[in-house]
Amino acid sequence: MSVIAFILLGSVVLLPAAGLLALRWATSTGQFRCPDKAALLPFDEVEPVGMETDCILGGNRR
Amino acid sequence: MINQSQTLQNKTLRALLPGDALTGGGTEGGKKAALAEIDASCRVPVLFFFLSGLAWLLAGTILALVASIKLHTPGFLAGWEWLTFSNVRTAHLNTVIYGFASQISVGVTIWLMCRLCRIPLVAPGLITVANLFYNLGVTVGVGGILIGDSTAIEWLEMPRYATPILFISYALIAVWTIVTFRLRAERHLYVSQWYLLAAVLWFPWLYGTAQVMLLIEPVRGVVQAAVNWWFAHNVLGLWFTPIGLASIYYFIPKVIGRPIHSYYLSVLGFWSLALFYNWNGMHHLVGGPLPAWMITVSIVASVMMLIPVITVAINHHFTMVGHFGKLKYSPTLRFMVFGAVSYTLASLQGVASAVRSISEVTHFTHHTIAHAHLGMYAFFTMVMFGAMYYILPRITQREWPSNGLISLHFWGVALGIVLYVVPMSIMGFIQGTMLNDAAVRFLDVVQFTLPWLKLRTLAGLLLAAGHVAFVINVGWLLVRMFEPYRKPVVSILTGEAETVAAAKLP
Repeated sequence: MSVIAFILLGSVVLLPAAGLLALRWATSTGQFRCPDKAALLPFDEVEPVGMETDCILGGNRR
Repeated sequence: MINQSQTLQNKTLRALLPGDALTGGGTEGGKKAALAEIDASCRVPVLFFFLSGLAWLLAGTILALVASIKLHTPGFLAGWEWLTFSNVRTAHLNTVIYGFASQISVGVTIWLMCRLCRIPLVAPGLITVANLFYNLGVTVGVGGILIGDSTAIEWLEMPRYATPILFISYALIAVWTIVTFRLRAERHLYVSQWYLLAAVLWFPWLYGTAQVMLLIEPVRGVVQAAVNWWFAHNVLGLWFTPIGLASIYYFIPKVIGRPIHSYYLSVLGFWSLALFYNWNGMHHLVGGPLPAWMITVSIVASVMMLIPVITVAINHHFTMVGHFGKLKYSPTLRFMVFGAVSYTLASLQGVASAVRSISEVTHFTHHTIAHAHLGMYAFFTMVMFGAMYYILPRITQREWPSNGLISLHFWGVALGIVLYVVPMSIMGFIQGTMLNDAAVRFLDVVQFTLPWLKLRTLAGLLLAAGHVAFVINVGWLLVRMFEPYRKPVVSILTGEAETVAAAKLP
């Protein structure tokens, strides 16, 4: 089997399979179950929702 | 048996975590590191990527100016054989794509992955080796182009002897990202992580496949053109776009202190991009000697891209509603919002340009160049600038030294890119209609473009002024790292504002 055929086969079969596996993993681990929680992931107790973090001249406002 | 193996694997990976974080990590979740600890751990590797990226930006800017001037003044630097237009233009593209944009992307990816996985940077040695390989590869590649060793394949012009070095670097970065993901202390994935993980896996696949099919064991005939455009278009869509969108989804909520409008829409946007984008590329060959169905598939996929584009646009806009006033205060937000709006515009322009009746006019004209800059610069580069404005003070623990330079940077590049894209889009369209008219002489078309090309050089000078202002500010910031910390009037590091009287950025 030539290198090209190997790559094409890999692309056609493995990539969609990897995508489907990723989707299955996401659903089975509850990644899509609680979108409100997921949307809060950039925030924490140090920088909570409501805190602006890049106001260079206006100052940080909570 | 499987559980034992996984436990052993997790223990092995966890050994990579620095001291305090040993109790956390793994897919089980664990102790989450403090943001300051994460930022400090990222300092050296991220700085390496940012600084080398900025050095390539300056080199790429000079090459761009030389190429732009040569378009309307062909005698410029004509005595230097290694600075012919074809060499300079190609070196510019490879310098800014691989030297600047990709390196800044990796720096931002490292920082975002650590922050969202809530662990300090692991395996810094791996990332440092990747950076060294990367810069070696780009130096050899751009040098090879300038001495005439270009492969003449669009976006893959670097000579064959440079690309294995780059591939090693991409592979190391992908391995690092997977290791970081496995060690994460936060079980839940944020949408930015989906984009980042996908991008670092997609790109080595794209790059490796294109290298094999075009350079190592080249396919024949028109298939070469099909593979070439598939690669060139997907570098934008599956490498830069995901990293740009990951950044916007993280930084806009962080800056304004508000979660994204709809998490569902963001996930829909990611999966629809993953589904449709890789079919794109061959719409650039409308009118070419390819089977019609191949081009049609790409056109349909381009139109289907409206789904992720509209979902992203809705999400960004409704997240920002009520917060637009904060653009006065935050440089990160300014660059991010500019980039987000440009993403929508670039995508809509791309969809329109893919349609046969429009492509027949605009392709092979300056309209395509304008579109490429709208996507790569107005969207992606602006977002990366915004990300660096947020990340650099945090990893260096120093404030930006000059707000004047920030404003000079923003207005220089914002006006510069508008002055570049708008006239070039209009000119390209007129140029296309003239080229399609058999009654118009080709020389007349060339002469028609001259004043517009001079305007393009002026736009390039504005962009260059912005770049220089940014690099000076970054250099100044680094100098401050070696001085004792002096708290400014308003600090973004301590979260305290002693006065808000100074108000807004100019």
